[in-house]
Amino acid sequence: MIGSAVRRLGWSLLVIWFVVSATFAMTMAIPADPGKTLLGPHASTEAIERVRAQYCLDRGFVGRYGCWIERVAHGDLGESYRTRRPVTAILADRIGPTVQLGLAAIFLQLVLGVPLGILAAVRRGRWPDHAANAVSLIGQSAPTFVVGTLLLYVFAYRFGWFPISGHGTGGWDRVHHLVLPAMTLATVGVAYYAQIVRSELVDVLGEDYIRTARAKGLSERAVVLRHALRSALGPLVTLIGLDLGVLLGGAVVTEFIFAWPGLGREVLLAILEVDLPLILGVVLVSAIAIALANLLVDLAHLWLDPRLRDR
Amino acid sequence: MRALAFALALVACNAPDRGPRWKPAGATTPRAGGTLRFAVPDSIRTLDPTIAYDEVSFFAMQSMFATLVGYGRDSLVLTPELAERWEVADGGTTYRFWLRPGITYSTGEPIVAADFKFALERALTTPDSPFGPFLSDVAGVEAVLAGTTRDCAGIVAVSDRELVIRLARPAPAFLYVLALKFATPQRADHVTAAGAQIRIRPLASGPYELASWDEGVRIVLRKNPRYWDPARGHLATIEMLENVPRDTQFLMFERGELDAAARLLSPDYLWITSQPAWQPYIHQRAPMMAQGSRINVRVKPFDDRRVRQALNYAVHKDHQLKLLNGSAVASHGLLAPGMVGRDTELAPYPYDPAKARALLAEAGYPDGFRAEYTIIPDPEVEMLAMSIQSDLAAVGVHLEIATMSFATYGIAIGKPAGPALGYYAWVGDLPDPTNFLDAKFHSRMISDENSSNDSFYANPELDALLDAARTDVDPVSRAATYRRAERVLYDDAPWIWGFHRLSTEVTQPYVRDYEPHPIWLRDFTYAWLDVGDDGNPVPR
Repeated sequence: MIGSAVRRLGWSLLVIWFVVSATFAMTMAIPADPGKTLLGPHASTEAIERVRAQYCLDRGFVGRYGCWIERVAHGDLGESYRTRRPVTAILADRIGPTVQLGLAAIFLQLVLGVPLGILAAVRRGRWPDHAANAVSLIGQSAPTFVVGTLLLYVFAYRFGWFPISGHGTGGWDRVHHLVLPAMTLATVGVAYYAQIVRSELVDVLGEDYIRTARAKGLSERAVVLRHALRSALGPLVTLIGLDLGVLLGGAVVTEFIFAWPGLGREVLLAILEVDLPLILGVVLVSAIAIALANLLVDLAHLWLDPRLRDR
Repeated sequence: MRALAFALALVACNAPDRGPRWKPAGATTPRAGGTLRFAVPDSIRTLDPTIAYDEVSFFAMQSMFATLVGYGRDSLVLTPELAERWEVADGGTTYRFWLRPGITYSTGEPIVAADFKFALERALTTPDSPFGPFLSDVAGVEAVLAGTTRDCAGIVAVSDRELVIRLARPAPAFLYVLALKFATPQRADHVTAAGAQIRIRPLASGPYELASWDEGVRIVLRKNPRYWDPARGHLATIEMLENVPRDTQFLMFERGELDAAARLLSPDYLWITSQPAWQPYIHQRAPMMAQGSRINVRVKPFDDRRVRQALNYAVHKDHQLKLLNGSAVASHGLLAPGMVGRDTELAPYPYDPAKARALLAEAGYPDGFRAEYTIIPDPEVEMLAMSIQSDLAAVGVHLEIATMSFATYGIAIGKPAGPALGYYAWVGDLPDPTNFLDAKFHSRMISDENSSNDSFYANPELDALLDAARTDVDPVSRAATYRRAERVLYDDAPWIWGFHRLSTEVTQPYVRDYEPHPIWLRDFTYAWLDVGDDGNPVPR
């Protein structure tokens, strides 16, 4: 068990290194030059060269990579070209809102998606099943920018139930601001979770031990919730782990629509302005989040299924 | 189904009244207090005046930093600000300023002449300040840039209240340079103590000071009670929300969550400009900018003037103005309306496809040619590019539209082998032709790696005119020389001249004494809120 865990941890570190290094190599191909970005259109070539040297951009690939790795090893991800602010400080500011949004979305996916899946499974072939399928289909098909804009228009602009934009000042105000972005982000997940739960439950409900439970006189509610659902939740655990990794990497469209100050919006702005240190910083955080989530899922499976431990 | 119908009915019935929801309370003199809220679609990058060089940062800094001279409330005329008066002597090479008595920073520390000297020298000695080139006419700058001294001999603090700046050559545009925010007074001890935190620790000399800044989210400015001018600073606080998309801003404005909304998207712009009730609260302004299509005149077939003129005749400017819903005026050159030296008698190129075809045939392209037209990823720019593509196809010039990110495009066009034809917008820092014509078309601004003259246009006749006007201290002959320069450029057509965009802003009815400034645009320092005695807007 410990050996397997260490092996998987090693692989995770390797994946993170590979993703970040590959991103770094790709950034070399972009003709980005912070000199002109920082100094404006009137800058002399000498001034631009001074700034290039300051950011190690006057070196070749190995020199730049070495310069960057050395800084990262000391916990320094450099300074944003746009704002001259340390990338670590920007990431520290942005991770909090992203975590709040990601966790809220997963919470909504669970509390809405699982009951919807159960309803569809236990009423298979009848109207609740068809309705749940329709909801799932719409949820999975509708692009985030459509869902987000629609929710914002109806519930914030027309009804005025929620704020249109921003992330509030904390406490209840923060929760109030969180509802619509979390709903937007959760739409696809709700649909997907509902389908997974329905599909797993339909299979499980046909198993012998479920028939036995019913024969023993257990109520249908107890059969579904205590026996069938427990078996059907296995794939969902994997899905939650993977979702967690992806959502913690930032939700670009949702954060942009609602001006939610998370990592997703930050990386969009960084990409638009070719702010390389910030792009690399966000990629690093996203890679760590996804690798960590995968690692947790792997460890959970190792714990749940002893047969995997020797592989 | 019934539930769906009910939901749709609810949405329909709850449509908010889209006229102004409030009205002015009717005060006749400015009312002190209240918070004015507006939003921008980008982030403030820094509050360090030596570094900040973007529009959004300027919106915040405009209220916090005062300079020796400033612009009139609604004009491009320079007026005394922290200097109560100045004189220009020695043939336009010596500028002598006398500071107002008793002026202080928001902290209560006095503002002295040495603080201006420090600020200007800081721009010269800070490697990543974009403002060093603006001081190139000051005597002694070369030694500072070479690193032999940090003391610029041409800038002398004679006493606490007297500052002298000597220029190596006359430069009539120099006063405009001193109105830029990098020239705001800065205390050496404050800058040293703040270190890298100077970007978030501004020392205010203007009508407002920093109250709080949640970076990327919201900045709040509060009234600086020590500011000298009672005509400014009526609002208790100004709140600026960052990174709010433009369409969302308008929704927030309509719901009363914002007091002003600018740069409206087409549907919002069309709607609000068609509503009589909103008309008194719509403000339009022609900022210091020009948009069009930049041409690299060294690249075939654009090296032939007849081809460039043909492109100008072939583009139907009315199409573009219609696409922009009339929120622009057609241009004949780079100088914006209201600027010194702009030739108001010069009309934009007329739409004349027959003449365009004749010029192309004369230049050896009777069947036209194919070319790439490069743009940045912006829906409005894409729309305009398609209009140009369609117009030019009618005379046989077939464009393929290519897209580059803004940052990449900005670097690529500075190189001779970069995109030869494409979208361009030039926003001036100063309302002076040097900042437009010298920067974009003088041959000394051509370089192989980072060419400011990105049309790579070199014309000795134009160079001579620009050189003469640059140092001409007689405003009448200077303006005449620039008008001649404009005609040279008009004929040589290193751009497909486009238009000057109008900036449109709408405010709530209770926002009084506000007009967007031609340079700073969102300057709320004179504004006040005409609300009820309870501080709330009066319902309409």
